[in-house]
Amino acid sequence: MKALRVAIGLALAVLATLALGALRVPAPPDFFLLVVADMARGGAVVAATLGGLPAGLLEDALAGPQGLIGLHAFTKILVGYLLATIGSRTIVEKPLAVGGLLAGAVLVEAAALTFLLWVLRGDVLAPAPWLLLGRAATTGLVGGALHAASRVPWRQRREARRRMRLT
Amino acid sequence: MASPSLAARRPEILLAGLLSLCLVVLSLQVRRPGGRTAGETWLLAAASPFVEAVTSLRTAAADAGSWASSRRRLLAANRSLTGEIERLQGELLRLRDAERDKTRLLELLAAQPAPPAGTVPARLITIESSGPFRTGLLDRGASDGVRVDGVVIAPGGLVGRVIASGPHTARLQLLSDKTAAVGVLLPRGARAGVAKGDGKGGIAVEYVPTIEPVEKNDLVVSSGTDGVYPNGLAVGRVSALARKSTLFWEIQLEPAADPRSETLVFVLPPVRRSDVQGGPAAGDRR
Repeated sequence: MKALRVAIGLALAVLATLALGALRVPAPPDFFLLVVADMARGGAVVAATLGGLPAGLLEDALAGPQGLIGLHAFTKILVGYLLATIGSRTIVEKPLAVGGLLAGAVLVEAAALTFLLWVLRGDVLAPAPWLLLGRAATTGLVGGALHAASRVPWRQRREARRRMRLT
Repeated sequence: MASPSLAARRPEILLAGLLSLCLVVLSLQVRRPGGRTAGETWLLAAASPFVEAVTSLRTAAADAGSWASSRRRLLAANRSLTGEIERLQGELLRLRDAERDKTRLLELLAAQPAPPAGTVPARLITIESSGPFRTGLLDRGASDGVRVDGVVIAPGGLVGRVIASGPHTARLQLLSDKTAAVGVLLPRGARAGVAKGDGKGGIAVEYVPTIEPVEKNDLVVSSGTDGVYPNGLAVGRVSALARKSTLFWEIQLEPAADPRSETLVFVLPPVRRSDVQGGPAAGDRR
């Protein structure tokens, strides 16, 4: 079930990334991180870590530097582990907190990415700060919004509406 | 005990495995300046100690071979040089001998600018002084004109006389021999005496009356009255002086010519009786 959820999430992430890229959005949210964060909910470390691998590989295929498959996979696995570890020790329920956590995860991932590139290539390729902050903000916003939306009892509301229509 | 621990560590193990896998995959792709991938670079870095060890071994083996070859070469050169040094040392000794001989000859010629006819230069090869008799061996003999009773002189003075002459060698009696005697003259009063060898390397003068003035360092010369030695040849210097009795001095001479340091001597022809009796030839032999 979780695998299907990951597959759907990743497919949507790919579509969203492509769509926003076509729209030339300067700082699009990290949809793949949202998928990983979804896996990490409730402290599922193994699921988050395993989910980070395909998410990162897809991101590498879509937006990674040429000929470097595995770069985002590394960071996504790492971020997935961290998020799951945090989720297993604390309860983060408020959308604002979730958004902040995701924004922080974007920053951590960027730092890990920069460090990894420095290790591998020998030069520091840090992203533009404002773009990074924008990406962190949008990711946090979208993640917080999705989290808030996920907390809404849509099924119960729909059942209630259906019952009201019948009566 | 290990299983629960491993199970508890499963997320971390999974994380480490996945991250390592990513790193390996990445390292196989990233190209460093110089064209190598990071993986190749890391692999080379990991293998470099082994490569260095192999290189060191090969270098050490080459050095050892070179050392052995150099050692052989150096040993051969050393042997050659040692031989050359020995040869040169021999040459040097010969040259020194020749130089000494030349100096002696010059001294002899200076002392005896006109040696009498029949004078033969000779080398004093050996000196026998271990027993009571003191003799020497010359490298010239009868075939060279060395005859018995020939007078042997050195630049310093009288050395002895020939007592036996073979075809190519001759034996001489040194003045310090216990059986040798020579008539001498003391310089201050022209008093005659007899000098005899003491068998120890020295010469003693006998029969000099105490009324005769004698001083240390006086040069005593041959008198020519003994029928063996010509007159006027230096015999020795007074080294010790004492009254043996009320009548005679006890005089010790230091030989004028030390046979131990002489290698080149002249052998004069034997003195003729007519010379002893006052002929002029004897005095001319100085």
